[in-house]
Amino acid sequence: MNKRHVVSVVFVILVIVVAISFSSYQANLLEMHDKTKYLEKIAAKQSPLLNLENSSPALGSENAPVTIVEFGDYQCEACYHWFHNTRDTLIDNYIETGKAKLVFVDLPFLGRDSPKAAQASYCAEDQGQYWEYHTMLYTFQDGLPDSGWADRDRLNSFAFSLDMNMDEFNDCMDSSKYAKRVKANYDEAVKNGVQQTPTFIIISQDGTIEKFAGAQPYSVFAATIEPML
Amino acid sequence: MLAVTIFVCMFIPLLILSEFLFIEPFVIFHVVEDRIVSFVLIASISLMSAIVIPMNIYRIRTLQKSRSKIGGSIVGSIIGVSAGICSCGPIGFSIISTFGAVAGTATAFLTNYEIPLRLISLGLLCLVYYTTIKSISVECKIQ
Repeated sequence: MNKRHVVSVVFVILVIVVAISFSSYQANLLEMHDKTKYLEKIAAKQSPLLNLENSSPALGSENAPVTIVEFGDYQCEACYHWFHNTRDTLIDNYIETGKAKLVFVDLPFLGRDSPKAAQASYCAEDQGQYWEYHTMLYTFQDGLPDSGWADRDRLNSFAFSLDMNMDEFNDCMDSSKYAKRVKANYDEAVKNGVQQTPTFIIISQDGTIEKFAGAQPYSVFAATIEPML
Repeated sequence: MLAVTIFVCMFIPLLILSEFLFIEPFVIFHVVEDRIVSFVLIASISLMSAIVIPMNIYRIRTLQKSRSKIGGSIVGSIIGVSAGICSCGPIGFSIISTFGAVAGTATAFLTNYEIPLRLISLGLLCLVYYTTIKSISVECKIQ
């Protein structure tokens, strides 16, 4: 490798280091975010409220001042990463403390098993186990969409593992009882301009919203929610 | 200068597409533990592309040599870029909404086999680098 290449490599490494440092600096800035300025910013984003009548039951207190709406697909890998890397901290700090509630809206677009998995979650809701089933699906997500990990047999086995009434669950699935509900959720997501999963809409008590997409880290949620409280 | 431009033009969009860099609602860089390998591969592919492509452009322009190696480096870069484009992301959503289930399977393949595809890409770029260095040292030898 000649001298010029060595210089190029060193320069590129420097660029990486600078980029990473800049990003860390941005993350630190989030911690010290100017609350007033932020409120001014979101005040300009007043928006008609989402229609959440077909969404999941709320996780957390119904009276929580902030609502976190997650648009997701059970076969989405990014949703899996968010579920396993960010969600627990969010639940510990905002859901369990009564500051926020979490609602899931299905955007099943990744394959034929996605709407079926979404319907199965509502069949589980009939037996009071929506969030347990939701957790089960994101825990056992495995491989490519439609690879079989969320086919009918697996959906049944998840229900069985949760000690659900299998006759009731099968009737619900066979009759496609919640197909329209899942479709309504999909349409609601598209109507709100959601184009990827996971996408989040955070709604404050006064109706201001903040929307962002991707499996974002906890610090982004904290910086968005805190000024809304 | 060209190398830096190639690096930045590959690295930043790849970070955004692979959800390591978010620009909304804040600019934030985030690498979780289980995706470190993916991040390192993106950085390596961007780096190798930034080295190999300008080297071959130089070779073609200055020495008027064949263009076969630059083809290899571009193929390597394209494999590296397309691997891991998240099927859950806006590109995946648009493709699947337009082309349906087959496109869904294709994008999911790219996501699922991200690491092997990126390793192939990196291997190809390393091979092109090695052969280019070898040929330049032969071609530039003063008789």
